[in-house]
Amino acid sequence: MIKLKNITKIYQMNKNDKVIALNNINLHFKEGELIVLKGSSGSGKSTILSLIAALSKPTSGEVIVDEKRISKLPDNFAALYRRENIGFVFQKYNLIPTLSVKDNIIQPLIPANPPEDELKVKLDNVMKRFSIEHKKDLIVRNLSGGEQQRVAIARAHINNPKIIIADEPTANLDEKLSLDFIKILKQLKESNKTIIVATHDPLFFDLDFVDKVIEIYNGNIVE
Amino acid sequence: MILSPEVISILILDIVFVFFALIAFYLSIRISLYWDINSTSKMQYTLEKQSSLAATIIKYIFIIKLPLFLFFIFTLDKISNVLTGAMCAAGVVDATSYGTYLFILKIINIYLFGYWLMLHYLDIKYENLPYVKLKFRFFTIAFFVFISEIILEILMFSSIDISKMVSCCGTLYSSSATSVISSIFLIPTSVLLSLFYGIFLMMICFYYLKNRYMFSIMNFLFIIVSIISLISFFGTYIYELPTHHCPFCFLQKDYYYVGYLIYTLLFIGTFYGISVGIIKQKNQYIQKKLNISLIFNLLYVILVSAYPLIYYIKNGVWL
Repeated sequence: MIKLKNITKIYQMNKNDKVIALNNINLHFKEGELIVLKGSSGSGKSTILSLIAALSKPTSGEVIVDEKRISKLPDNFAALYRRENIGFVFQKYNLIPTLSVKDNIIQPLIPANPPEDELKVKLDNVMKRFSIEHKKDLIVRNLSGGEQQRVAIARAHINNPKIIIADEPTANLDEKLSLDFIKILKQLKESNKTIIVATHDPLFFDLDFVDKVIEIYNGNIVE
Repeated sequence: MILSPEVISILILDIVFVFFALIAFYLSIRISLYWDINSTSKMQYTLEKQSSLAATIIKYIFIIKLPLFLFFIFTLDKISNVLTGAMCAAGVVDATSYGTYLFILKIINIYLFGYWLMLHYLDIKYENLPYVKLKFRFFTIAFFVFISEIILEILMFSSIDISKMVSCCGTLYSSSATSVISSIFLIPTSVLLSLFYGIFLMMICFYYLKNRYMFSIMNFLFIIVSIISLISFFGTYIYELPTHHCPFCFLQKDYYYVGYLIYTLLFIGTFYGISVGIIKQKNQYIQKKLNISLIFNLLYVILVSAYPLIYYIKNGVWL
């Protein structure tokens, strides 16, 4: 389903200073798999996520998702691809702090402008699934870290994307909340979502439902 | 050199345009030479970013340049107040040897810029950007025409001598003039009007027959005949003066700036009309352009025809 072929990503800081974030890597993920990318900060995990999500383009090589050459998409098509296929969960949740829970969750649907009743059904379903319906009218900045993370997951899920990308999702959570998050991931995997998590949280490494743990070091895959 | 606020604005914009157009020109050459959409090399990814940058630069230059043509005419009209003998933009155009060429080049460029923009919007509609090479090659050629226009513009404004007397439009657009313009008046009105309405009717026929190539050719002929008939016949009814043939005076306040509407309708109508013969697209897309062209051309015909009709209804005679 997801193929990264001969991917190199170089961040050119200035003429003489460059960072090789990924060095000619090849990866292949199947549909419905839960993949954990592990590695220290700066190893290249988030770069892989951003390439799969078409948030950035490689320096060379290509990313293919469902036979589509994602890395070759022009920006307007890349945005459409993200909207239809990708759900994001970020380390710092990236919610809009002044909006309510429900207003945050519906953000990915706004560009498509669905009918009011369809939007309500989707919103109710997703809030129920992640147990936050009782908080729907609260402003998100007043929620706890765990609750904010649930809102972020609900937002990532509302478009029913095929792929969920989570970048250090438990970095701001304590162990109990991290385990809650892992339970949610398990549920999502059971609904056949392809999930890619970039983390250095050891809680993820020995989970029985994780299909692959890939270690990245200095832009290379550790075999 | 004449330096009114309008001229200064145009010259500053010209400098800005040249700076950005040079960047776009350099990138266009690279893209024209090395673009390969199937490649996953470092160079191709760099070119993809550069094409996005160059296309954005060109797009904004051209989008600004299109309405700037109307501002250019407005500027010429305003300058005419300080030139002895000039009554409207026509006197300013004729004040230097560059004016006429600049004016013709500006009209050609309106179409060139418009077609580039059309090509660009077609290109970005598809994931594989099928017209990238074509649009940047097109720009590398259009760049020289664009630069020529700017050079002529600077030369024209710098050569205007306000102490020199210039001809007024009454002299320039008269049958006794010695220029090529006077030959317009040799065509009998009946022939000219037959051509004008005949071409328009044929345009309608080809619209219903869905023959886009003939529709395009008719539009090309229509703009030529329209301008000639506007100078020779319709303009006189706008002025209600049989001897006044100026294609600029009706851009002035005295005539409620109707010239801007007349030229805008004509240029939009013929622009889309000509385009259907050039572009290869789905029928739905072509049909949309055919519709736009026909509506604008029809409005143009109604507008210019209304003047003689109203004159006849009011006075019971033709001019």
